[in-house]
Amino acid sequence: MSLAGIFSRRESILAAILSLAILAACIANPADFPRVSNLLEILRLATEAGIIVVGMTAVILTAGIDLSVGSILALCAVILGKSWHGAGLPIAAAALVAVAAGAACGILNGLLITRFGLPPLIITLATMALYRGLALGLSRAEPVHGYPDGFLWLGQGTWKLGPVALPVQLPVLLVVVLLGGIVVGRTYWGRWLYAVGRNEVAAGLSGVPVRALKLAAYTALGLLTGLASVVYVARVSTAKADAGIMLELDVITACVLGGVSIFGGDGSVWGATLGLLIVAVARRGMDLAQVPSAHQSIMLGLLLILAVALHSAWSQAMHRAALERAGAVVSEGE
Amino acid sequence: MRTNYTITAACLAIMLLVASGCARRPQVTPVGQPAGPAPGTQLTVAMIPKIEGIDYFNACQRGAQEGAAELGVRLIYRGPTENKVERQIEIVDGFIAQGVDVVAISPNDPVAIAPVLRKAAKAGIKVITWDADAAPDAREFFVDQATPQSVGYALVDEMVAQVGPEAKVAIVTGSLTAANQNEWIKHMKARIAEKYPKLTIVATKPSEEDQQLAFTVTQDLLKAYPDIKGIFAITSVAFPGAADAVEQAGKKGKVAVVGLATPKGMKPWVKSGTVKTVILWNPVDLGYLTIYVAKAVWEGTLRPGAGEFRAGRLGTVKVQGREVVLGEPFKFTAGNIDQFEF
Repeated sequence: MSLAGIFSRRESILAAILSLAILAACIANPADFPRVSNLLEILRLATEAGIIVVGMTAVILTAGIDLSVGSILALCAVILGKSWHGAGLPIAAAALVAVAAGAACGILNGLLITRFGLPPLIITLATMALYRGLALGLSRAEPVHGYPDGFLWLGQGTWKLGPVALPVQLPVLLVVVLLGGIVVGRTYWGRWLYAVGRNEVAAGLSGVPVRALKLAAYTALGLLTGLASVVYVARVSTAKADAGIMLELDVITACVLGGVSIFGGDGSVWGATLGLLIVAVARRGMDLAQVPSAHQSIMLGLLLILAVALHSAWSQAMHRAALERAGAVVSEGE
Repeated sequence: MRTNYTITAACLAIMLLVASGCARRPQVTPVGQPAGPAPGTQLTVAMIPKIEGIDYFNACQRGAQEGAAELGVRLIYRGPTENKVERQIEIVDGFIAQGVDVVAISPNDPVAIAPVLRKAAKAGIKVITWDADAAPDAREFFVDQATPQSVGYALVDEMVAQVGPEAKVAIVTGSLTAANQNEWIKHMKARIAEKYPKLTIVATKPSEEDQQLAFTVTQDLLKAYPDIKGIFAITSVAFPGAADAVEQAGKKGKVAVVGLATPKGMKPWVKSGTVKTVILWNPVDLGYLTIYVAKAVWEGTLRPGAGEFRAGRLGTVKVQGREVVLGEPFKFTAGNIDQFEF
């Protein structure tokens, strides 16, 4: 039975891989991994990346990319710190300022990409340096700490639900993933993302407002990154300019592993989230099994290659199945 | 389509199985249990460096393994592949899930690591820091290689001995957030203000435990400040990078390079004369002492303000409050550098 016969949805491959990863981690660590507290902590640590993954999916669907998210996270974290500590705003207002700053960074990315027509890779490579520099300059490398306990509870605290202690940021992640998945998968705007990714010219000629759409996607990503920065500062209780270095790689890895095609037009928020969970479970499982960090990087690299190969094979099998259903003749050796 | 539902159902079933597995598991060790491992079980110490795979921390690991073998302690040594605190937080969290007895960490950021260290303490794990400190309320003891004051003073005094009391110098540090590096810089500046007010620090640049970056940063400093007389390179990765840059720029002998690094790493430049003195302590001893302190903290035999502590082959070391100090900084020169293999 072909790959496409068994898995008619890409997400089911990912669900299968995730279950395998969880099983493997349980077998490797029978005493420590299969605990609710362990699983919840995996989710807590994955929340910030998870929030950003939703936005990154939207951007990659348009055949774009954003390498500056790590720097945006740092800049928003610093702005949060400075707004609260330097300007004396109440913490909730400072958090809103941070989220707005993220959106502003996203708008700048979007404007540069849509106005200049340069590849998003190049533009966001530049803004990656720009935002990081701004963060360093604003903070003068001095971290801000001493946040009120109520704020820190957002990143470090738990909600008691019967016997279970739920990390506070978990509902935030769930809401973002659900909303993102529904918007991208079930709305006009979402379908336009796919259209632009598959064939930008055709989409434009069909009446899709391509420029506005891309701008919206990058802005949404920036806004979500700002939100993630608030959770980050609450979790590590310090706002510093060297936060989130290499975070963009983690986010993009999760998206690609989750089947979001780097060429645009394919994939989903659900898949990307599953991809993130697979990486998080694999890392935690390897940590508990005492795998040295260098070997973990190798394993994750291999996992990524495997996933990309699987997705590619699945796409081709689906394509072939669709052609057969349409009655076209499929020649051998294609 | 039906196969699809089967798969989804199977996946859900697996995950439910996993989650329900916890119901039969005994609770995590309750807080307030008597200190010390139960007879017959082995003490497990989790040791986390700032970064895995550089000479300095490899030497610390060797010392820790030596101490662990002597004391019959189970040592788990693991660190991140980049000097980032985020990864260290994940690693510590993993150790909490595993239920180790002691966590000994050299954190990349003293404040960011504190929440997860406090979480470890709440779970009944003893927390100590070594090489670099965390927020003092998040750990029980800090195993310091040398007091930051003695390190800072030694660096400045050595620089002045080489370039004189009136000169322009720059500092190449590791990361701008690492507590130990910032402490040393603080004391360096204090020493300068007190004794050598005409010694001017023109710039302080990070090199993030990346020798190539340290090389580039030093090159830029040499170009930006052509009359600079000395470079402080205060990490074991920045020092070789900076020395290399000075030598390749042809400034050997004209620009002094003073810093902290392993003698093995600095040998080429000490032999070529670019570097006259390497200041350090023995990282093998630091790792060794950390394990001894870990065991003593777990057993409750080391109390704050004890004054001194006996640590195996090291003999007696000083304890200042909640800080255990290994000793005074040591100077490696062309004369003695061949005697050391770290």
